[in-house]
Amino acid sequence: MQIDQKFAPIRKGLLEFLVLRIISIRTVYVADLLKRLADTEFATQEGTLYPLLSRLRREGLVDYEWQESDAGPPRKYYRLTAPGKDQLGELETYWQQINATITGLGS
Amino acid sequence: MRRVIVVSLNGKAFQLEDDAHAALSAYLEAAERALAGNPDRSEIIADLEQAIADKSGRYLSSHKSVLARLELEQILTEMGPVDGATAAEPQADASTTGAAAATSPAGPAPRRLYQISEGAKISGVCMGLAAYFGLDVTLVRLLFVAAAFMTGGGAFIAYLVLMFVVPYAQTSEEHAAAHGLPFNARALVERAKQQAALFANSSEWRRSRAAWRASWRRGRDKHQAARGAAGTTPPPASPPPAAAAPSRPPYAAHIITGIVLAVLGLFLALFTFVWVIALVSLAATGAILGWILPLQVPFWIAVLALVLLYNLVAWPIKAVRHAVYRPGGGYHPTWVGAWDGVAVLALVLVLGWWAYHHLANVHDFLEPLLHGARATLSV
Repeated sequence: MQIDQKFAPIRKGLLEFLVLRIISIRTVYVADLLKRLADTEFATQEGTLYPLLSRLRREGLVDYEWQESDAGPPRKYYRLTAPGKDQLGELETYWQQINATITGLGS
Repeated sequence: MRRVIVVSLNGKAFQLEDDAHAALSAYLEAAERALAGNPDRSEIIADLEQAIADKSGRYLSSHKSVLARLELEQILTEMGPVDGATAAEPQADASTTGAAAATSPAGPAPRRLYQISEGAKISGVCMGLAAYFGLDVTLVRLLFVAAAFMTGGGAFIAYLVLMFVVPYAQTSEEHAAAHGLPFNARALVERAKQQAALFANSSEWRRSRAAWRASWRRGRDKHQAARGAAGTTPPPASPPPAAAAPSRPPYAAHIITGIVLAVLGLFLALFTFVWVIALVSLAATGAILGWILPLQVPFWIAVLALVLLYNLVAWPIKAVRHAVYRPGGGYHPTWVGAWDGVAVLALVLVLGWWAYHHLANVHDFLEPLLHGARATLSV
């Protein structure tokens, strides 16, 4: 079994965390997000991202607004809401805990 | 020359070769299925269509206005399969996928007749029947009343029997089973499984099941040997259908409990009925059902003897009935006693009323007694 396969469920689970992180820097639309993730281990596709974003919006963590684009139709630009910022803070804390645990167990 | 189909992707027209159209339709249908139950489904589909439209741009120019199949397949590969699970709420994830897996391939649970106490007028028999046949409960009640008139009270006795025999739906699973699946499939599955459950312990059933299992094993071994020779892995051993029987006992136990309760209740009611007649006849004629008391026995001794006799017979029956209530589970001990008394009394009255109208002997016997009672009361 390939190493990346072993971590497939973990990468999938972390996708939400990473999407929130990317959106927290500045408002983005889906193509930006895909491009940002494309060269990482977390490369993903529209088929995964749109459903994920719709859930995050339903949970009130992100919101979007339509913005005109030079090329083509208006796009949805996603931004982080206040609850989304709180959630991201908690996720980051938790992620650091996990990292500390992993480091501590190895030594 | 190829046929071209024009589609609208999120409000913009695109021309596709017909096999490209088939690929796109398949993708969007799969997306609809993956997002089934998602409140934002139509919005996500619109987003996906928009993304496909955006990607199509790079294949189209003023010289080329139609998308070919390979181009569209490239786009769909980039899009990736629509992931319904990422859209689900994390905590609901496992349960929804589990429920979907449980309901779609395995088939829904078989329908069963239960009494449903929520919204019941008397005991819940009509509520259960309405759920079972998928009818409106008011209609079932009207049918029951009409049937009671047409059968001269027979339907009412049937109601009492059902009241004793049919268990109450208490868990959510039982409530689901009460509503079940369409009638035809239900009838077959239900009959097979119920019989399997009821007769699982009978020796005849056990013998036939053992024979069936042996033949099943022989078949399986032969099959595995053949598969092994062909160099493939043996097939996963599917459990024999009889394995469904052990999972049924709760309902079967309810039914058996109900039958025991009904038989004992009926017997007790009959006995009470005869006993009351005996008492009335003693009071009215000085003889017990035509048997004239020996002269030296005073009236009050005869009454006392009758009361003792009644308790001697009725007490063990009542004890058994109360003991049976509890293992059956579906009855609350605190109101069992009161309810039981009322039910027996109702049975006595119904049986008496029915016998008075339908059995000539009973009618002839009761007529003078009732006449005498009326005369006594009016005096």
